[in-house]
Amino acid sequence: MSQLVTRYNVLFESLKARRRRPELPKGLDRFAAAVSLRWRQRRVSDRFLRAQAEGIDALRGETAALTDAALSETLRSLRELFVRGRQDDEAVRRGLAATREVARRETGEEPFPVQLIGALALYHGRIVEMLTGEGKTLTGSIAAPLLAWRHRSLHVFTVNDYLARRDAESRESIYRRCGLTVGAIQQEQEPAARYEVYAKSIVYGTPKQITADWLRDQIRLGRLSTPWAGRRLLDESSGLGGPMIPGLRAALVDEADAVMIDEGVVPLIIARSRREDDMAETYRQAAALASKLEEAADYRIDHLRRRAELTRRGRERVAGLRAGLSEPIWRAARRAEELVRQALVARHCYLLGRQYQVVDGLVVIVDEYTGRFLADRSWEHGLHQAVEAKQGVDITADRETLARMSFQRFFRMYPVLSGMTGTIADAAVELRRVYNRPIAIIPTNRPVIREAWPTRVFRTAEGKWNAIAVSIGQLHAQLRPVLVGTRSIQASEQLSAMLAARGLPHRVLNANHDKEEAELIVSAGAPGVITVATNMAGRGTDIRLTQDARRAGGLHVLLTEVHGAKRIDRQFIGRSGRQGDPGSSQIFVSLEDELVRLHAPRLAALLSARTGADELSGRLLRLGVLLARHAQRRSEARDRWMRAEVLRQDDWTEKYLPGH
Amino acid sequence: MNERPTFSPFWHRVRLMKPRLRSHVQITRQRYRGRRWHVAHDPTSNQFYRLNPVAHDFVGMLDGTRDVETCWKISLQKFGDSAPTQNEVIQLMSQLYNSNLLSVDSSPETEQLLTRGRERVKRRIQQQAIGIMYFKIRLFNPDRVLTWLEPIFRPLLNVWGLAAWAVFLLFCMSRVLPHWGELASGLDSVIAPGNWGWLILVFVVTKAIHETGHGLICKRFGGQVPEFGAMLLVLFPSPYVDASSCWAFPSKWQRMAVGAGGMIFELFVACVAALVWINTAPGDLARQIAYNAMITASISTVLFNANPLMRFDGYYILADLLETPNLMQRSAQMLKYLLQRHVFRLERLQPPSSQRSEQAILVVYGVLSMAYRVFLFLSITLYVLGQFFIIGVILAVWTAAAWFLVPIGGLAHWLATSPALGEHRGRTIASTLGMIALAGALVGLVPLPDYRRGNGVIENPTRQGVFVGADGFIVEAPKRPGDRVAAGEIIARLESEELVARRRELRAVMDELRVNESQSRQEGEPAAAQIVANRIGAVADQLAEVDRRLEQLNVRSPIDGVVVGPDPSLRIGSYARRGERMCEVVNPADVRVAAVMSQSESAWLFELGPESHGVEMRLRSDAWTPVTGTKVWALPAGQTRLPHEGLGFHGGGDVEVDQRDPEGRRAKQARFVVYIEADFAALRVQNPEAVAPGERVRLRFSLPSKPILTQVIDRVQKVLQGKVNL
Repeated sequence: MSQLVTRYNVLFESLKARRRRPELPKGLDRFAAAVSLRWRQRRVSDRFLRAQAEGIDALRGETAALTDAALSETLRSLRELFVRGRQDDEAVRRGLAATREVARRETGEEPFPVQLIGALALYHGRIVEMLTGEGKTLTGSIAAPLLAWRHRSLHVFTVNDYLARRDAESRESIYRRCGLTVGAIQQEQEPAARYEVYAKSIVYGTPKQITADWLRDQIRLGRLSTPWAGRRLLDESSGLGGPMIPGLRAALVDEADAVMIDEGVVPLIIARSRREDDMAETYRQAAALASKLEEAADYRIDHLRRRAELTRRGRERVAGLRAGLSEPIWRAARRAEELVRQALVARHCYLLGRQYQVVDGLVVIVDEYTGRFLADRSWEHGLHQAVEAKQGVDITADRETLARMSFQRFFRMYPVLSGMTGTIADAAVELRRVYNRPIAIIPTNRPVIREAWPTRVFRTAEGKWNAIAVSIGQLHAQLRPVLVGTRSIQASEQLSAMLAARGLPHRVLNANHDKEEAELIVSAGAPGVITVATNMAGRGTDIRLTQDARRAGGLHVLLTEVHGAKRIDRQFIGRSGRQGDPGSSQIFVSLEDELVRLHAPRLAALLSARTGADELSGRLLRLGVLLARHAQRRSEARDRWMRAEVLRQDDWTEKYLPGH
Repeated sequence: MNERPTFSPFWHRVRLMKPRLRSHVQITRQRYRGRRWHVAHDPTSNQFYRLNPVAHDFVGMLDGTRDVETCWKISLQKFGDSAPTQNEVIQLMSQLYNSNLLSVDSSPETEQLLTRGRERVKRRIQQQAIGIMYFKIRLFNPDRVLTWLEPIFRPLLNVWGLAAWAVFLLFCMSRVLPHWGELASGLDSVIAPGNWGWLILVFVVTKAIHETGHGLICKRFGGQVPEFGAMLLVLFPSPYVDASSCWAFPSKWQRMAVGAGGMIFELFVACVAALVWINTAPGDLARQIAYNAMITASISTVLFNANPLMRFDGYYILADLLETPNLMQRSAQMLKYLLQRHVFRLERLQPPSSQRSEQAILVVYGVLSMAYRVFLFLSITLYVLGQFFIIGVILAVWTAAAWFLVPIGGLAHWLATSPALGEHRGRTIASTLGMIALAGALVGLVPLPDYRRGNGVIENPTRQGVFVGADGFIVEAPKRPGDRVAAGEIIARLESEELVARRRELRAVMDELRVNESQSRQEGEPAAAQIVANRIGAVADQLAEVDRRLEQLNVRSPIDGVVVGPDPSLRIGSYARRGERMCEVVNPADVRVAAVMSQSESAWLFELGPESHGVEMRLRSDAWTPVTGTKVWALPAGQTRLPHEGLGFHGGGDVEVDQRDPEGRRAKQARFVVYIEADFAALRVQNPEAVAPGERVRLRFSLPSKPILTQVIDRVQKVLQGKVNL
């Protein structure tokens, strides 16, 4: 019965939360919103934060002297204050001093004063920039109890399931001392387990999981508007049913730039298989038809936009070829051409080992930003089937969208939203524009002594890969641990083969080997260990150096390409030189890299024609570096447009289409 | 080539809905350019939506029981490639829904409804703010009045009524035409300040009749007129009605009739007023009012309402006539399309019309209306600026912002953020900057002729006064002003009894002396005779003097020329003293033009050498023949006394003069007097009457060519200087 009451309560909260329609202000309104935010936040200036942090630090002796029982008592009384909304600056100071002490006692890590500033800024709803390796996890874990006390439930977002589980487990003891419960949402969890996790006061999870659960809740709730109308959803015997998520109250986003910005390019979609019409044969026919066309003469591919266009001749050929097909769908010219174009796009723009991988006879999408598999996700409107047809695997049923939501919109539904990241840089403007959140930049605790070695630019990809292999060999000989970043699974496997040919021992970390992730990372800081990784290792991974490795010069991060955004490069490089450790990094670029080819093909060709040597040097090298940066900027700009587009469409549908 | 992708990522939002058109929505069929369209109209909210046949078929299937997906599939089977895509269905539904034409399921989306209502109010306010030149104030719902009036007028509102109206119009025109000169000459009196009160009253009344015309015809064909109000047209109140329900009329002739209804009624008023005007005596108040009514009801109708370049009646009539709905909006889209397609070289764009002929119409209309808009902006602004300086500045800035800055800002925003530009952004921005640079070069660098205009008056530099030679009564004046006289010809004759008496007296003395003299000679007294002879000489001298003065009573012209000045014949019978100026005689062949200029206007005259500027003049009475000035010079010091009363306000000129000066020649501000000499001989051959002193002349000084920018800055400075000095 009490469970039913709880569910009913969840239903009530969920309905309340979804009534919020976070419209994005436009034009002058946006300006007004920014001004009003600044006005509301005026008290929480950087100086205020510093003074408060000093105040907390001053309480250290006092709290350290408390016995465990007395500390628990203090925490209980503080919690009381926060739950009742009676917290003042004094209470916040004492609260953070107490959680800091808890962190010290439970995990042996004591937050530095700068981390206290970070925790305060988080508590006050800011996006905090702390350099990589400055202990964001710890900062978050002393701010989280206060937020959870105050807002009853807190969602902590991480970039992947592994981190969610790791953080939830490693912080559990702190939260338990604070009278809070914690859980982590994992992809493989069954609904029953999820209900349980969402009932905890602090929930760790990836935005994909939590947003998907939220959307499923919405589908379940349908057009209901009152809890009374929704009571039928609840199953009295099991105490389940109804929405899972008890409202969206407060969110703390780790790696805010990745979660709140990079992932915003693609909205989250809940889909289910459509059974009615079986089009498998049609997709195969389209793929066969597409393979008969010639590039340039019959069609042109726009790799950047992933679009194919038929020439006049191509259209005539399609018309001739489809005449021999009996399915009714081939009778209409427009739809037929659309299918052929889609097959062409699948053929040229979606490549095995880059955009997808075949696992157990299924096409699985690889996430561009995290390098991980996106199980259960498929491309829309037959593209997935076109890729399957091209790949020659069984064609799955077409899926239809049930619900769709952009992450930008989802995060805006939280009335309290704060975040942390190592690399805010160019994301600051967008964070402010989309989420209207102020930013706090936290100074480093220890100076970074990581060396950035000069970027090397090559004319051909082959030259680049050879040079990379040579460089890895040299570093290996110096007994330094090396982390090699690649942009795709395919590239990581290719490099692995090259290294194997040279007799260099190494390990590969990509979506194909995600089971060994934790173990690979633990040993990645040992002397002479070579780890070839996709973006999977780019965020949140804490590679700890052994004493010998530190003496050998620390971790060297070698990037084999520039990524689509500078921030991702910086994140990857941030794996070395953590908390004052020694380390170094170097980027290798070739004029044949995908990014350069897509975004600056003409300039690359010009530069390539200017040199005979394989590696650029002198003035040409400088030009090459500029070119790579230029391509990167264009890619960043393009992603920005895409996110803006997602947001615009999202707002448009909310505003102009009936229903939710 | 447009791809029209079949699927939309947002399909899930609509596919299971079971919407239907709201029950009171009426659909009428219309034809545009040979194609069938269906107009959905909600009479309660006056919202419209135009559907093509395929969309109409689709909407027709939405009956509240079938879901959108089912209807879409049926449509796909029925129409194949021309069936709407998912995206088009979503667009269609959202537009119908947001126009309140579509109801979705049973429960109303209260929140969205409210939001939409608020948005609509906000949009309305924004439009009002932008269109400050056309500010609308709603007053009341005229439906009841029109319902009462309509049956009365009904017998007239048909083709026969129109024919009768046309006949009446022609009849009135034939009656007015003989009075054309009188008609035209009265125009000045309409804008005279004393008439303003009547003018405004008459304007408001005729416009109210105009609007009633729209309303009645709209009602006649079954439409509704839910709104009557006042529109502040450039701050001038003018009534309006909302007859937009006529857009749902199936026949384009009916729609055009509603559009033309206002003008038909107003021209009728003008005709009646014309008849009144012809049949009343000058000085009659009825005649003055009739004249005002005639002028406002005809001129304003032709200038404003019939003008299709502004969103008044003419525009809607033209749009229906050409069967191009949303003419203005779509022509703007068309120009934008052409710009994007040919200048920015963007692909995958859809022109607002696929018919070649319609595209041509859109382009022509778009260019014309844009040019007209600029013209209107400049002329209204300059006019208001001249009248009410501060209001003018505010109005100009506001309108410039609404008409020019907002579109320019929109362009900048589009250039900076439009995803359509994609990787062409750099190129597009470059070509935009190129165009701006080109326009800037045209405006800022390419020298164009610089003209300054002014008003002048013909005057004679040499005028000879005609003076009375001796005191006397004027008895005869054979010459009147304007008469030619030869040198020595008598202009007036005076008589003086005193002189005549004196002569008689002297003659008597003379006769007596002559007698005395001959007596003395006969008596042999030579000395005495000599004395008498001397006296005779003296008297003879006196007599000669009297005779000369008698002769001087004939006032003669000193030179060959034309008599000007006061009419001597008016003074017949009055007494004139010697030395008094009777009139003047001027040489008509010897004329020059006098003009005045303010300090800022004439600054260039002192800066430029005489060889670097020219002047062209046109007489008011003969504007077709230009005369070139041969010499221009200015008096180096400003003065307040005008060289001719014809330059001041009272004489029809443009210089403000002191009201207290009876001559109307004292200017309120000091001006520079400029003289221009010219050879009027050629003109005089053609039109001997025209080149008369006092005739007004339009001057056009041509200065050295300068870029437009410099010219505009010069002129703005001129206006500002003039105002700031005040």
